[in-house]
Amino acid sequence: MSNIDPDKMVDQLTRPIRKTSAFYYVVVLALLMAVCWGLFAWTCQLTRGLQVTGLNNSVAWGVYITNFVFFIGISHAGTLISAILRVSGAEWRRPITRAAEAITVFALVLGASQILFDLGRPDRALNVILYGPLRSPLLWDVVCISVYLLSSIFYLLLPLIPDVAILRDQRLVLGWRKELYRILSFGWDGNPEQKRRLEKTIGIMAVLIIPIAVSVHTVVSWIFGMTIRPMWHSTILGPYFVVGAIFSGIAAIIIAMAVLRKVYHFEGYLKPIHFNYLGLLLLTMTALWFYFTLAEYLTIGYGALPEEWHVFEAKVAGEFALMFWIMVGSMTVAFFLLLFCRSKWPIGGTVAASLFIVVGMWIERYTIVVPTLVKLTGRGYPPGMYYPSWVEWSITGGSIAGFILLYVLFVKLFPIISIWEVEESEEAVVEKLANMKRYFPCVSSAPTES
Amino acid sequence: MDENRRNFLKKAGSAALGLGCGFPLLMAGCSTNGHSSEENSSSPNQWAMVIDVQKCKEPAIRAACIEACRKEHNLPTNPPPNQPAREVKWIWSDKFETAFPDQAHKYLAENPADLQVLLLCNHCTEPACVKVCPTAATWKRKSDGIVMMDMHRCIGCRYCVVACPYGSRSFNWRDPFPDRNDIDKQARKEYPTRSRGVVEKCTFCAERIRLWQERVDKDPKLLESEPAPIPACVEAANRVAGGEGALRFGNLGDSQSEVSRVLRDQNTICRQLALGTGPNVYYLV
Ligand code: SF4
Ligand code: SF4
Repeated sequence: MSNIDPDKMVDQLTRPIRKTSAFYYVVVLALLMAVCWGLFAWTCQLTRGLQVTGLNNSVAWGVYITNFVFFIGISHAGTLISAILRVSGAEWRRPITRAAEAITVFALVLGASQILFDLGRPDRALNVILYGPLRSPLLWDVVCISVYLLSSIFYLLLPLIPDVAILRDQRLVLGWRKELYRILSFGWDGNPEQKRRLEKTIGIMAVLIIPIAVSVHTVVSWIFGMTIRPMWHSTILGPYFVVGAIFSGIAAIIIAMAVLRKVYHFEGYLKPIHFNYLGLLLLTMTALWFYFTLAEYLTIGYGALPEEWHVFEAKVAGEFALMFWIMVGSMTVAFFLLLFCRSKWPIGGTVAASLFIVVGMWIERYTIVVPTLVKLTGRGYPPGMYYPSWVEWSITGGSIAGFILLYVLFVKLFPIISIWEVEESEEAVVEKLANMKRYFPCVSSAPTES
Repeated sequence: MDENRRNFLKKAGSAALGLGCGFPLLMAGCSTNGHSSEENSSSPNQWAMVIDVQKCKEPAIRAACIEACRKEHNLPTNPPPNQPAREVKWIWSDKFETAFPDQAHKYLAENPADLQVLLLCNHCTEPACVKVCPTAATWKRKSDGIVMMDMHRCIGCRYCVVACPYGSRSFNWRDPFPDRNDIDKQARKEYPTRSRGVVEKCTFCAERIRLWQERVDKDPKLLESEPAPIPACVEAANRVAGGEGALRFGNLGDSQSEVSRVLRDQNTICRQLALGTGPNVYYLV
């Protein structure tokens, strides 16, 4: 990193907070309108009941559950990636972590609300906590997701403390925001003892959050895996979902980073090399995703148990073939984009691949949830196809807009690139180099352990 | 010092979060394994039904059963037009091959497409619906093995609907009685009405079983003339000419009951036995 004057850096990184362009208001307004439209659709659903959806007794779960799985997947972007990079000491993470952690919190909020949209009696949602028996996988989700949400909020706020202190000391903003910064900086004055403790706590949280995040997507998959339905009842589902979650999560960060870089001119911070490295991670996940998909589909197709075969056939060559092959196609395109264009064209290449992946992963979730229900045999139901209604699409659109809106508002309140962590880059490099020397063979006979 | 304490709290808090996440899962794993011993050992009683497929070939018998159940339990009589998959049904009739996909081979004596069978909740020994319900709004009654349904606790998540392998559960997609006058006109006062957005299913006429139990408790001699309660569908089938014994109901825990006898003497089949849910509705073919 070229030497950068700290004052200039603070100035650059807090600019989104200090200056608001007209474009920003336009974006917020557009998002608000989309959210309101979604809320309107939800009111329709609340007043008329779930008959306004395309669901029926045969296909009782649809787009809302798909969105739920999708959003929880996106949420793995942040916390898990930033935790893994922190724990493994990848120094290039520094400008990325905050942007990633914020995704987690907001995606979780929107993900959890999908369940509320799906309930026939949302007014009774508390019954789950009042009477819920531990044997229900849905309860495991409630527990794990709440723990994950709380710990991600904590994990987002912790590294914010020094940055919020900077904002507090700058006295640039007034009113309620000043008060907010005062509270959230928890009396930070930057003395070495505080710093040491903060880093230690962040370290502990980073380690803790990894198993929590893995547990969350595992139990999400177990909602399906624990039932005895064809192509849901599969032991591979847990890891398959976790891989898919990290996969779509990284893609989401790349998109968010590219937008931030463009809009706020963070070219000096979010560099092509960051996209390149994240792209490499993404490439690995694409390969893993293909491996899991192949393992799952080949086993089922080859075994061809009648019950599973019906679902398999519908996905590969029947009603859902178009969606299925669009999904496989987007992942293939993404794979080759990442393989060949990543190093030459790091930003454009990874962003294009990420867009394919995010869309592909939504379709993946859909083709896991819906075809199984459509093609079930043995229930003695009139066959029911499922076509999502305008209400379901509107609520989905509103949720995506709501997610982006929360993110956009966050950027306005807090530095989206962690100032203190970037500031410390250079010290970290020195430390890292000293540490790396320990790997080298000893030249002198005396041990160089410190 | 203040900083010190806060740090400790943070660590303790994060440790608690980590533990809090793993522990319920562990417990839950144990409780799913334990359910069979916990819920079945307490009582050997299990109400069950035997359906004679040959007798039920007669459409009038099937129609009578379905109609009696509708009346008895205030099922909405107006399934939404063009939405057969949204009908609320407790007992219904469908093709043999859709109900018994694992039995319908090509060379079956009778063309299975023509053969209609009566279907209803199997009151499974290991009910898939009960396992997944997040509010215990559906549960297996220990005293007599009926899988009960509390429409006033159900949150309408429809997890049970997707989990039940037999299609026995219906969700109220719309208001069962959109017109308040309908309630007065059609509703049987003795049976509770429910709201939109909850799931319902057959309860083996639990309300009749309760009345029967109360009578028997008062006067045990009654057991001889009335050895088992009679669900509405069974009663309706018996009333139709030729329908006598098309549906039989009784306690599997009692080796002298009518169903136990039929099961001992004749060959019966169950729906999708391979799934391990242990259905308690048997079919004489
Ligand atoms: S048939 Fe379905 S609804 Fe009835 S007890 Fe079995 S799993 Fe539950
Ligand atoms: S819909 Fe009702 S009965 Fe079914 S699982 Fe959900 S809460 Fe339980």
